[in-house]
Amino acid sequence: MNENTNTNDDRTAAETAEEAELRTDGGEASETSRSSSELRTDGGEPSDERGPSSELRTDGGAITPADDDSPSFRERKERTDGLSRLTYEYFERSRREDQVLRDDSDYVERDVLGFPAWPHEMIRNLSITSFFVGVILFVSATMPPPLEAPANPTSTPAVILPDWYLYWSFGILKTQALNLELAVLGGQTIATDRTFAVLLHGPIIVMLFLVPFLNKGSARRPVEQPFWSAVGVFGVILSFTLSLLAIKNLMAARIPIWTSHMQLWLSFVLPFIGATIAYAVLKSMREGYMYDLNRRYYRLRPPR
Amino acid sequence: MDDPYDQYPEDTDRRRFVKGVVGAGALTGVVAPAASMIDSLTAPPGAGGGPTDYMGIEKTGGPAPRGMPQIPLEYDDEGNLKGIWPEVEMQQVGGQTVPIAEMELGGKLYSTTWYQYCGSQNNPAIEPDADLDNTIRYTANPAYDWQSNQVEAGDPVRAEHFSDYDGWGNVIGESGIGKPAKVTWRSTELEPRDRIPVQLIRSPLIEEAAKDDEWLEASTVDGFIAIHNQCTHFCCVPGYKDPGQTDAMAYGAGDSIYCQCHQSVYDPFTIIEQDFIALPRSD
Repeated sequence: MNENTNTNDDRTAAETAEEAELRTDGGEASETSRSSSELRTDGGEPSDERGPSSELRTDGGAITPADDDSPSFRERKERTDGLSRLTYEYFERSRREDQVLRDDSDYVERDVLGFPAWPHEMIRNLSITSFFVGVILFVSATMPPPLEAPANPTSTPAVILPDWYLYWSFGILKTQALNLELAVLGGQTIATDRTFAVLLHGPIIVMLFLVPFLNKGSARRPVEQPFWSAVGVFGVILSFTLSLLAIKNLMAARIPIWTSHMQLWLSFVLPFIGATIAYAVLKSMREGYMYDLNRRYYRLRPPR
Repeated sequence: MDDPYDQYPEDTDRRRFVKGVVGAGALTGVVAPAASMIDSLTAPPGAGGGPTDYMGIEKTGGPAPRGMPQIPLEYDDEGNLKGIWPEVEMQQVGGQTVPIAEMELGGKLYSTTWYQYCGSQNNPAIEPDADLDNTIRYTANPAYDWQSNQVEAGDPVRAEHFSDYDGWGNVIGESGIGKPAKVTWRSTELEPRDRIPVQLIRSPLIEEAAKDDEWLEASTVDGFIAIHNQCTHFCCVPGYKDPGQTDAMAYGAGDSIYCQCHQSVYDPFTIIEQDFIALPRSD
């Protein structure tokens, strides 16, 4: 199919023979493998003469079409396997270019798998450990924490809150207005307000467990998937509004017009508003952004 | 599967079947022990609980499931305020002989199981046969200025400390509704963690209501009412006209008992019969 372009004049015959046994440098395929398959995945040199159009080209050849050869929008739309194919070609091309660079260089590769644990890794780890132990000792020596009075179970502090990262959970405990008195139950609630609020943690924790399974796409930027980005924005805003719900009594005491009822409903409406705005913005940004992204990645030329 | 670059073979039916069997087996292996563990952990270990009717103040707002129980009061021989604790009898309950403290009072059945919630069921002060000091005594570090200025922690409560009860007021709510104090009961000999929090109020409203109510007549004296001050929601200790709790005003609870944790509100001047499942005492 093509000529071997990798043979360096300064290589010894022994090295070349050895390479023939185990080829990892993307060089010329052996006679057997070449005859067994037409599919080249070693980034070989593109051939001069083009094969039939139905033949699968995987050598990354002609990834950048000539100016007069660049496809129109219509032609691009008709290529349904465009993205995966372009990705594949892109990586094959990169591999081939790397291989060419590697072959041209006089750098001698050695089989270095890592550094020995002793002394390299141990000395580094010990110095890092010593540094942080020193910081802890220094901070505790210069700022000793006060020994507070023992907890008094016969009184509860006026402001009582959990650690900040649990505010959202504490806020859920204050959602008894959502526990509706249902007509089908004769004006009763499904559970007591207390049980209801604890059960309300369930859907949120289940959602957190579902996150890795919700969307396994390869997108790395919000604009690439406006819907799932909007879902994320919903979650972020909800975590903030639920946290604010935990301190609703403090806010109500300081802001007279701010009623608890208003805050409860805003806590669940604001995430929807935020998600809608995020979806609209990202959706409208996507067209232009994705074109630019594809052009950078796949070196596409603008359509005629 | 129409992607020509996807070269992975399709899952066979047999492979999917094996996956399903293995998954179901693993799920069973996790769920069954967990269920039996939860079952054994939540089994009531002791005796002396169950459905209980009690007299308590009404819950008027917030997530608490019910009102807080009342503690009946009387004067002892020296004129100190004292909480009523019923005589203990040994009774056969479900094949076990357990001590039970209950009595007829003001037409209701007053039982110490009223206070068996929020961990108090394991409090030595709530054990029916515990022989403890029933005198109502002031606590240390009270919320009220008058209490820290005029009385000492551990002093017994006397009516003369409350002589200005029909005009008393502070920054929270209206004046003249009632004069409060933070007190304890049956807790003098106990560790601080076992002390029973009690909200004491002397109020003209209670004095008025006791005139034509059999229960209030028997359980309050001279307008004094005592409430077992543990929120039925998640066991915080609420406050009545606590000057630190300015947020009570935002919840219309200036003249009510207000829990700062989750904004439950109780009306201490509406005493109604309620019911709950008293937790069993541990053995």
